[in-house]
Amino acid sequence: MLVIDALLQGILIGLLFALVALGLTVIFGVMDIVNFAHGEFLMLGMYAVYWTNYFLNIDPLLALPVSAALGAVLGLASYYWLIRYLLRGPAIAQLFGTFGLMLFLQYLAMFLFSADYRMIDKGVLVGKSYSIGPFIFEGTKLAAGILSLISFAVVYYFLYKTKTGKALQATAINKEAATYMGIKTDRMNALAWVIGGGTVGIAGGLLINFYYAYPMVGILFVMIAFACVALGGFGSIKGVFYAGILVGILEMMFPVFGQLIGSDFLGPHFKFTVVYLAYFIIVVVRPQGLFGWKN
Amino acid sequence: MRSLKSLLFICVLFLSLTIISSPAYAQKEIKIGVLYPLSGALATIGRDLQRAAELTADIINNKTPGVDIPMAKWGGIPNLGGAKIKLIFVDHRGEPDRGADLAKRLILDDKVVGLMGAYNSAVTKTVSAVAERYGIPMINDSSTSPDLTERGFKWFWRTTPHDNYFNRDLFELLKGLTEGKVRGVKAVPKAQLQNLAYACENTEWGSGVAKSIEAYAKEYGFTIKKGILYNANSPDLTSEAKALLSVKPDAMLFASYLSDSLLMIRTLKGMKAQTKFLWGQDAGFEMADFAKQLGGDINGVLTRTVFIDKITKVKKVAGQINALYKKKYGDDLTGATARSVVGVQTWAYVLNKAGSTDPKAIQKACNEINIPANELVMPWEGVKFDSKGQNVLGRGLIGQYQKKPDGSISLEIVYPFDLATANFIYPFPGWK
Repeated sequence: MLVIDALLQGILIGLLFALVALGLTVIFGVMDIVNFAHGEFLMLGMYAVYWTNYFLNIDPLLALPVSAALGAVLGLASYYWLIRYLLRGPAIAQLFGTFGLMLFLQYLAMFLFSADYRMIDKGVLVGKSYSIGPFIFEGTKLAAGILSLISFAVVYYFLYKTKTGKALQATAINKEAATYMGIKTDRMNALAWVIGGGTVGIAGGLLINFYYAYPMVGILFVMIAFACVALGGFGSIKGVFYAGILVGILEMMFPVFGQLIGSDFLGPHFKFTVVYLAYFIIVVVRPQGLFGWKN
Repeated sequence: MRSLKSLLFICVLFLSLTIISSPAYAQKEIKIGVLYPLSGALATIGRDLQRAAELTADIINNKTPGVDIPMAKWGGIPNLGGAKIKLIFVDHRGEPDRGADLAKRLILDDKVVGLMGAYNSAVTKTVSAVAERYGIPMINDSSTSPDLTERGFKWFWRTTPHDNYFNRDLFELLKGLTEGKVRGVKAVPKAQLQNLAYACENTEWGSGVAKSIEAYAKEYGFTIKKGILYNANSPDLTSEAKALLSVKPDAMLFASYLSDSLLMIRTLKGMKAQTKFLWGQDAGFEMADFAKQLGGDINGVLTRTVFIDKITKVKKVAGQINALYKKKYGDDLTGATARSVVGVQTWAYVLNKAGSTDPKAIQKACNEINIPANELVMPWEGVKFDSKGQNVLGRGLIGQYQKKPDGSISLEIVYPFDLATANFIYPFPGWK
């Protein structure tokens, strides 16, 4: 029972981890750029829903389009006003460029919203729990898991079943060839940033339902997202999905495992050690990740 | 006859010598060196500490009507011929080595009678070492690291309770519940409160609290069913909360900073956690944002603290001195500033008891001092030092967040029992 419970909780939180990591892997897949400011997009998505809820009294779940739109616009703006210029420079410039963006957004948030912790206290699901059989689920986490899955499915459908999505993939696989085929790769790059920003914006909107927002919150989740991307394979959509769930399950299962064998030593304080250990092992044994195709 | 005359002469000479050399009459000002962090990150708190100390010295030096303690009617130290206390403030900036240098200067150049301070435990450690070397008494008003009074020093006394005391308070409250001492609650059978579970953040402070809780649980005959240390910066505390709840604890104890205390309460609420008693050790649980962010969700949650402004309603002296402080500086006394008041007050009582500024006499007075509870602003049973120099009559407060009929949240005193400002909410109402 304990194990099944942890498994279910792990899958729920894992779905959200996967959604956070999705944007990172899409951008990396298409452009080979690691977006260090990804966590800050998440943070701003959280604030977007928080303030919509605060000022307009709109339910946090209904305010998701706001955070999605903000994320998409942020992605687009970052691409056109920053990344395009960075692409002309050396690889190190791209690294520092997004790192700078990260710092800028963090301190901008600090300036605008102060360093206070902010949590949502009004909303249909906020603070509600549902018992399903012997298991109790928090309403907000259940919603976050399900909506993450839906968002993921939509993006997956778009990338694999539509013409534009296929063009995006073509750009990811071979940019030059894609250009010769008449694909406007510049637009595809922008699209990748829109998808990346939009999905992480949604993730932020879901997260604020049960987690507090503050200017430095991004780093906590983006670290996990990096682990997911590396575990799943850089640029692999399917990979990041399974990796997210795997990380969620590992995180929840490990303390249960400690409990089952009656060890306090293997307690919750080591749960992320296991996650990063798994990441380390995968990187050593299978550098391209579980489902990776890019070297 | 001649021998009688010479004997008389010797007697007169001896008497006059005693009178001349007696510091009580020779000296109209007693210098105490006070070390506080007056600049840097702790400047705000240092400034408040200085204000509280100055106010207290004023009360001692000038007859102050409206404050019902003997000290306020003294107008100086009575047994020292009405000598005034002069506080010499120096700024250690929170740096231990600087504190030690300043202490040396105060002792050698300013020729202070004694020292007070230094707020930061780390600075108190070095300053007290200097005082020990020169044989100058030091009274520490506000450093809570338990180790400070475990060094076998002969010239160091601490008025504030240290961290172990605060954890003992928790167990006194638990014990009080089983004995029917808590206001508004009938005695709870001990079996119903037997099993405890704690979660403490895993840095030095949290793990120290965890160790202390383990020790007291043993002493008071409670069982720790589960104890975990966790990372305060965790993106998720579900597994921690589940681990605690897996043992169905009667009481849940926490040492958390602000962000993790918010997340923990939210997570527990989401799991419809049931427990009878939920307590937090200061830090996150005591901060204004805790109540602001969680609102009605913390009805019944307990937190340890040292001074709640409610104390002014149940303790006359606290109300009176607080009113003076507020009139002068616009703020209420806090846990830190109230301790500074007690520090200066203890110095005054000690000097009066010693009747001399000789270090040996002060040392003896410190070891014998006994300030009664009703003369303190603090909710303590008094000031009385043990052989290690620790005040054994100090105690903390435990407050309970209670939801008022108008929906607002107020922090009420529930421990010590004689100071309770509201009926205890038991069992913890939980989240429906």
